[in-house]
Amino acid sequence: MTRGRGRYLLGKIAWAIVTIAIVVTFNFFLFRVLPGDPAKSGMRDPRLNPAAQAALQERFGLDRPVFLAFDGGNPFDSQYFAYLGSLARGDLGTSYAYRDQPVAELLGRGLVNTLWLVLPAQVLSIVLGTILGLIAAWRRKTLVDVAALGFALVTWSLPTFFLGIILLFFGAAWFDLPTAGRETIGAVYASVWEQVADFGSHLLLPTLTLTLVLLGEYMLIMRSSVLEVFSEDYILTARAKGLSTLRIIRDHALRNAMLPLVTLIALNLGFTVSGAIQVEAVYSWPGLGDLTVDAVGRRDYPVLQGAFLLLAVAVVIANLAAELVYGWLDPRVAEG
Amino acid sequence: MTAAALETLPGSPVGAPAERIDHPLRGFLRQRIGVIGLCMLLVAFVVALAAPLLAPYDPYAPVRVTILDIYQAPSAAHPLGTDDGGKDVLSALIFGTRVSLLVGFSAALIALLIGGTVGLVSGYRAGRLGAGLMRITDVFLVIPDLALQIVIVAIAGQSLTNIILVIGVLGWTTTARLVRSQTLAVRERAFVTRARAIGAGDLHIMRRHILPLVVPLMLANTVLVISLAILSESTLAFLGLGDPTLVSWGQMLNYAFTRGAVSAGAWWALIPPGLAIVWVVLGTTLLGTALEDVFNPRLKRHHLEADEATAVADEIRTDAAAPAVVAPDGAAPLLSVRGLCIEFESPAGPLRAVDDVSFDVGRGETIGLVGESGSGKTTAVLGLMRLLPPGGRVVAGEVRFDGRDLLALPPDELRAVRWSRLSIVFQGAMNALNPVRSVGDQVAEAIRVHEPRIGRRAANARARELLERVGIGAKRASDYPHIYSGGMRQRAMIALALACDPELIVADEPTTALDVMIQAQILELLAGLAAELRMATILVTHDLGVVAQTCDRIVVMYGGSVAEEADAVALFGTPRHPYTQLLLSSFPDVAHPDRALRGIPGTPPRLDAMPRGCRFAPRCPHAFDRCRVERVPDYPAGPEHRAACFLLDPAEAGRHG
Repeated sequence: MTRGRGRYLLGKIAWAIVTIAIVVTFNFFLFRVLPGDPAKSGMRDPRLNPAAQAALQERFGLDRPVFLAFDGGNPFDSQYFAYLGSLARGDLGTSYAYRDQPVAELLGRGLVNTLWLVLPAQVLSIVLGTILGLIAAWRRKTLVDVAALGFALVTWSLPTFFLGIILLFFGAAWFDLPTAGRETIGAVYASVWEQVADFGSHLLLPTLTLTLVLLGEYMLIMRSSVLEVFSEDYILTARAKGLSTLRIIRDHALRNAMLPLVTLIALNLGFTVSGAIQVEAVYSWPGLGDLTVDAVGRRDYPVLQGAFLLLAVAVVIANLAAELVYGWLDPRVAEG
Repeated sequence: MTAAALETLPGSPVGAPAERIDHPLRGFLRQRIGVIGLCMLLVAFVVALAAPLLAPYDPYAPVRVTILDIYQAPSAAHPLGTDDGGKDVLSALIFGTRVSLLVGFSAALIALLIGGTVGLVSGYRAGRLGAGLMRITDVFLVIPDLALQIVIVAIAGQSLTNIILVIGVLGWTTTARLVRSQTLAVRERAFVTRARAIGAGDLHIMRRHILPLVVPLMLANTVLVISLAILSESTLAFLGLGDPTLVSWGQMLNYAFTRGAVSAGAWWALIPPGLAIVWVVLGTTLLGTALEDVFNPRLKRHHLEADEATAVADEIRTDAAAPAVVAPDGAAPLLSVRGLCIEFESPAGPLRAVDDVSFDVGRGETIGLVGESGSGKTTAVLGLMRLLPPGGRVVAGEVRFDGRDLLALPPDELRAVRWSRLSIVFQGAMNALNPVRSVGDQVAEAIRVHEPRIGRRAANARARELLERVGIGAKRASDYPHIYSGGMRQRAMIALALACDPELIVADEPTTALDVMIQAQILELLAGLAAELRMATILVTHDLGVVAQTCDRIVVMYGGSVAEEADAVALFGTPRHPYTQLLLSSFPDVAHPDRALRGIPGTPPRLDAMPRGCRFAPRCPHAFDRCRVERVPDYPAGPEHRAACFLLDPAEAGRHG
């Protein structure tokens, strides 16, 4: 039993490592294969003198073979392994646009801000989505259920950025809420609390947008999951045992219904990232998404490459976490 | 049969319409939302095709603008005002439809081709190739789509072709997973193995046998992929990664949003393109939901919806029939069922699954409730316990348990009676136990619900004791149901049923799906415990052999009503109802092993086509005219013996052999 579970965990962790390796390699070649990198095209600029070109090439390591070196020397003395080496040291290169800013530093700041946005939205939407989905399933075909379905349908059909724009429009007009950045520019705070309040008011609209977008999805998943569980024979057993409806839901339906929810939340993490990118773009929230979109505009490839890698790896790790939670919730995984 | 089986049986209400299932199109039209969605899409298509005719201006024509033309409020000349470039918003909106639909549909086509191929191949070749493809799908599944789309479009260039390719090539994973699981399911079906056995090629099998079953399921998925592609396109365009030479909704929003529409209060430049996206995505989503319902209908059961109160009709007729002919000696029976009628809702009106069923169970008595699948035996016991699936209702009758009418009990009193005095062993113990809670825990739960003052430890100890008693061993109490064998699960179910020392146990086909040796052990266990604990038992089964060994009295059901009731000796010795006689002759007899076994010709009646007179008349070798028109009452057929057959009517005596 415990051995089965241990093997399950090891298998999942190994698979996550393999996935990250694939993502890293893919990320490396994506930026080598596709045209348009200024560092590469700049080097072929005839206006540069050959010495400067060679210096540039050497600085970026572009004089080395791409994948494996077959020139008799060390076969790993290649661009790919140099990239892996610097990744291992936490070195993601230097930004083109923000001169001499290490990409890792930019990304670190962005990640913190993104988490400030994503974590509250994720927690809020999971909690509310679970409760509302449960109620909708339990009261199937009543007004509550129809309203919940309608809400999910509308939030699904609304592009996240459009919902963001609408909330921004009305939030600014009616409630005078700040609509850009994470703090009032040039503000001098009398106390820490004032600073926290300022940060909070900046966070309010972006978080609300992301929560609403995720909420409909989670509600639907929970609803169909609960409906599935309600049709199981063990619920009939629980009823026959004389358990009250509330007790059946709490002790027999909830945990079983959470199982597919956990899996689907994990599978939907990409969806969360895409939501965060859009929300950050609308509210100029200085997170990874904003950084990514900004880097596209400035053709800042090192930042783009690093941001994509970080997002992908974050999703793989969050996915792994969800798998581990699943293994803990469901005794049957020891088999698989 | 449990409620699950009930849905699939030929005579049962839910399974009944199977042969005359609607044409998929009619099912679709019934789905009003699907029609609405389709109409919304059609409007978008017409607008896209007729864009040059509908648009008041050409958004691609260069115009000279002055500062005054920018963000003009809606007017007669510009019904939706002007944008940041002084151009007509309505015209851009109309032309934007083209890009949305073009990208949506062509990207979806690419995604479906890739996903369909990967899914088919990995499902059909389940070996290394299939596993490898699935691994690749898994990797793609975790890479955040939008981030990758942004990176690739940024590097490859912002042309329409690139956008379509990127959205299409990255959007195949859901389709691949769906097609794979469906292919895996179809692959093992008999007709595919047969085709392979006679040497049909893989391509032939895929085209002729697998695709026809996979494609309908893909339809709903197709629609979902289209709506996702449309959303992706508008998102990329909003983030500034659209094709700069084309007018699209996302791009209109990008320009307006980044060029001061919010501070200018120019809602007309922001809201219409956003709503246009919502229109198309909502249309596809509605269509997809409807298709999903038609081709992949969800389970309709819902064990909590039928709340205690609704499982019984508001007004029950309790004029309830004459008392049963058979009354166990003197003392009031423990359970007395009178005139029980149960109906299921159906599109064609209520269908009566149980009609005027009466029987008694004395204290400590074991009775067998016997009948073919669909005879209403399980429905009757679920109904008397008020555990009917939704759609089923007790419409008439009386169920007295120790003098109190169960059908009239308020919910909390009913809950108190359940399990503590009246418990049930369900058919498929696999599903009747909760998979994520240990077996001991589920037994202890029943004890604690009915004896709230008992501590957790004492309840657990008693649960272990019970498991020991049914031969499982206390050590296995902390195991989960999935590691139990089928026989052990059924034993656990019996331990669960015994948890609160009930006076009556209903065992609903307790041994189906078990092999013969285990069947005998389980029945022996059940009979032994019932005798030892002086419990009354109702054994619901289709197996006459089972009841012969264990039951004091037997009630034979046919077509929802009682055909014959007698003590075991009389029923096996002198069966009076032709149905019972035929049923007995279709079972092997140990005493006369050389006797020829005969099946009963014909099929059991369907609920929506019940014969008017005797339900068995169409299959009965002795039926005469009266049987076909007149309802049969019960006739006494001996001491404690009754049968619903006109042959027993003294008035018919001598006229029929």
